[in-house]
Amino acid sequence: MNIHTYEKVWLVAAMVLIVGFIATITYGAVGPGIAMIDDEGGDINPDEINDDERFAEPGVEHVGGNEYEVAVVAQAWSYTPSQIEVPANSEVTFYVTSRDVTHSFSVVGTNVNTMVIPGQVSEMTVKFDEPGEYGILCNEYCGEYHHTMEGKLNVVPEDEFDMTELSVEADDEVESGNETTITANVENGMQEDLETTVSLEIGDETREEAVTVPGDGSEEVAFTVDSADLGEGDHDWTVTVDDYEESGTLSVVTPDGNESADGGDGDA
Amino acid sequence: MRISKGALLVVVALLVPFVVEFRTALSWFGIKLTILESLALAGVLVIGLLLWAVWPENGNGGTGTADSS
Amino acid sequence: MATSPPTEVTAMRNAYVDQFPDEARVIKAAFWSSFIALAIGGTLGLVQALHRTDVFRFIQSPDYYTVLTAHGVLLAITFTIFFLVGTFTWAVTTSLDRGVVDVRFTWAWYIMMVIGTVLVAIAIFSGFLESAPSVLGSELNADVLFTFYAPLEAHPIFYIGLVLFVVGSWLAGVDWFRTWLAWRSENPDERIPLPTFMVLTTTLFWYICTFGVALSILVFLLPWSLGITESVNPLLTRTLFWYFGHAVVYFWLMPAYMMWYIMLPKFSGGKLFSDPLARVVFVLFLLLSTPLGIHHQYLDPGIAEGYKFIAMTNTMFLLLPSLLTAFTVVASMEHGARQRGGEGYLGWLKALPWRNPIFTGMALAGLMFAAAGFSGMINAGMNINYLVHNTWWVVGHFHLTVGTAVALTFMAASYWFIPQLTGKELWNRSVALGQVLLWFIGMTFMSNAMHRSGLFGMPRRTAEPQYQGFDFEPAVGTVGEINMQVALGGVILTLSLALFLLNMIMTSIGDDSESIPDNTYAGTLSGAEDSPRILDNLKLWTAIAVVLVIIAYTLPLASIIDAGGLFGPGIEGVRLSTWVDPAVIESLGEVIR
Repeated sequence: MNIHTYEKVWLVAAMVLIVGFIATITYGAVGPGIAMIDDEGGDINPDEINDDERFAEPGVEHVGGNEYEVAVVAQAWSYTPSQIEVPANSEVTFYVTSRDVTHSFSVVGTNVNTMVIPGQVSEMTVKFDEPGEYGILCNEYCGEYHHTMEGKLNVVPEDEFDMTELSVEADDEVESGNETTITANVENGMQEDLETTVSLEIGDETREEAVTVPGDGSEEVAFTVDSADLGEGDHDWTVTVDDYEESGTLSVVTPDGNESADGGDGDA
Repeated sequence: MRISKGALLVVVALLVPFVVEFRTALSWFGIKLTILESLALAGVLVIGLLLWAVWPENGNGGTGTADSS
Repeated sequence: MATSPPTEVTAMRNAYVDQFPDEARVIKAAFWSSFIALAIGGTLGLVQALHRTDVFRFIQSPDYYTVLTAHGVLLAITFTIFFLVGTFTWAVTTSLDRGVVDVRFTWAWYIMMVIGTVLVAIAIFSGFLESAPSVLGSELNADVLFTFYAPLEAHPIFYIGLVLFVVGSWLAGVDWFRTWLAWRSENPDERIPLPTFMVLTTTLFWYICTFGVALSILVFLLPWSLGITESVNPLLTRTLFWYFGHAVVYFWLMPAYMMWYIMLPKFSGGKLFSDPLARVVFVLFLLLSTPLGIHHQYLDPGIAEGYKFIAMTNTMFLLLPSLLTAFTVVASMEHGARQRGGEGYLGWLKALPWRNPIFTGMALAGLMFAAAGFSGMINAGMNINYLVHNTWWVVGHFHLTVGTAVALTFMAASYWFIPQLTGKELWNRSVALGQVLLWFIGMTFMSNAMHRSGLFGMPRRTAEPQYQGFDFEPAVGTVGEINMQVALGGVILTLSLALFLLNMIMTSIGDDSESIPDNTYAGTLSGAEDSPRILDNLKLWTAIAVVLVIIAYTLPLASIIDAGGLFGPGIEGVRLSTWVDPAVIESLGEVIR
């Protein structure tokens, strides 16, 4: 075959370019370790998402150290959860699946981007070095309101991040003269123990109790409140743990008739 | 004319991607042109090009070289 | 075969319509089918450009997806493939210097493709009706976009129409092959003429790749939409779609390549640089067009990284024929320019026939394709692709490839073909030159803005890329400015399209002219006698192509079927417009806001 000299030079240059591209991509995969979405995530029956260990309660989970896992369920036209919060300087593995049609889970302006195909679980691990706020959107057409499908990813500074949850159980009403209990339940989603203080403000009084919540566990703190100290009327209370607050109002009422102690169960 | 009218028209068209991309490229060096400035730049380039095209070659009057088939 | 300047009146007109009047009629019909698709699809493109960018919205956003489906199918499938079958029929008959074996057969496949298109169009456009009529037990609808990913489900006639269209194109291939075989029995020792060689190799990989989509539709999607089967495996049908989905882009690119190889050198005033290299290029496309479809699925779960790597490698090697084409086309243009008296390292560029819209259109299309090649290399890069996958970048990319390299070449070629097919002179060459330049300028604005917005994450296929919870942050300029650039580009492109159609209509209703140039294509500097005979061994190349496909696809398909089953884990269809209760939409909207 008769090939012109210039054409030969061009041919060689073209091959060098092609091999160069393949080499840089290979380097990207084995050097800095840019991993692809692959079949690691496994498969799942979309009808059984609610029974799945991981996806029954989607959200952020602490694995240990600076590693986290986030389970996300996509469906037309929302993500569950739609707000995700992780700390900076962390390694987060996302698991995403779809309940209905094909979606994507794409963190805007980054290379965190995966297709979400029903029957499959997309798994990808991402390092977040710096705090920042990112939008999440679906970039695969998923129906008439596809353009409304969005979420938010907040990477917060490490020292502002925790996985503490506070819930409070308290009565609304107590009869004058009785005692009642305000119970704070502190959940710790991190794997390490959480040492903190639970405080209750009611009336003019502030009470504090130190507590150690075990990793991936919860602890209850009960404050006994004597209505006699408060006097009749409405009293606002606030329970605080770190940055979390719950508040409510306790009414101390005059007992009517001879009935006794039906408001509180306080015999601490 | 140094180039044919057809070629001149094509060069003017080619200025469009040049100016559009030039504007993006300049921003890498911190130079941010507004749309109006970019338009002005394009205008200057087009006028420059026209002047160059109609300027007589080697001092003597237009020897139209390229044909326009 | 040098050009004859159009002003020179030949003694006996020898245009295509004089040589092959029967074939000319079919080709003309195919071209007009193509132009109608272009007119409708292009207009819908303007609607989208204005809607997305929030410049002018007159449709409801859910209808945007009906518009988008029509735009994609009409332009990527109907416009391109109707033009292709016309061009290929012209190429086979012209280069073999004989008519098709039986023109009734030619009409038969053309009509089959038309029926297929009409069915698909009915299904898609029913999406605009508030309550579409019920046919075959379900409401007409096909808001599934060009890719029809299950479990989005279209009405059965959408799938039936696609099948008819593809089978029609298969029969067109049969027509070209049997015409060639008839020629071969008359000329047993001759080399396959280059244009016919291009047609045959392209047809072969079309057979290989459409096998995947035919399987996907006939075995899985059609029975499922008819309610015969209950469920699909979305990853499987998606993989079968992309088995076809990338080769189809080469299918519509090949007629443009053919024009660059056999027409552009002629219009430059010279000859094709090398016949053997042209054959090598088309053989490479036959070999590599299909076993790389998985590069559209770099972001898909359920496919191991190794298979994606194989697809990436094949994709990169497919750069080779395009880089070779760039060389050959530019070298041929330079040769032509020097024949016309061009001199100097770059001075020869001035000697090219820029006044000729056919030449200028094809040359600008080739230039845009070079730019598209660069953004394509980014897409092909497995890891950097994560940044741009399914963003507007990709839309910018394929508006340079199919939207310019292909469409602009087709429009420029039409300025040559329509006079050839009708015996009527082009209505207005200046308007034609303006038209190709406007297309180039419009696409520059639109595609540049699309690429840039992809880099900051603006998604494709989205009616209102304006989100509640966050804003896009462009590296340069503002989102508003980028949107204006897209809208401006869209308007210029629509104007260009209108000028093209005007020229085609005015030419067709004009008077017969005696001054139509002869129907010829470019000769070669280094001819077929220089190319090894093995290049013409189509059986060998087809066998290797099939083996490559088997290597690239057996294992991924096996693991997909192994994991999800042939028919998936109970995944039912989702028909969007009948499925959603408006109250649900309202409440969902509330939740999101």
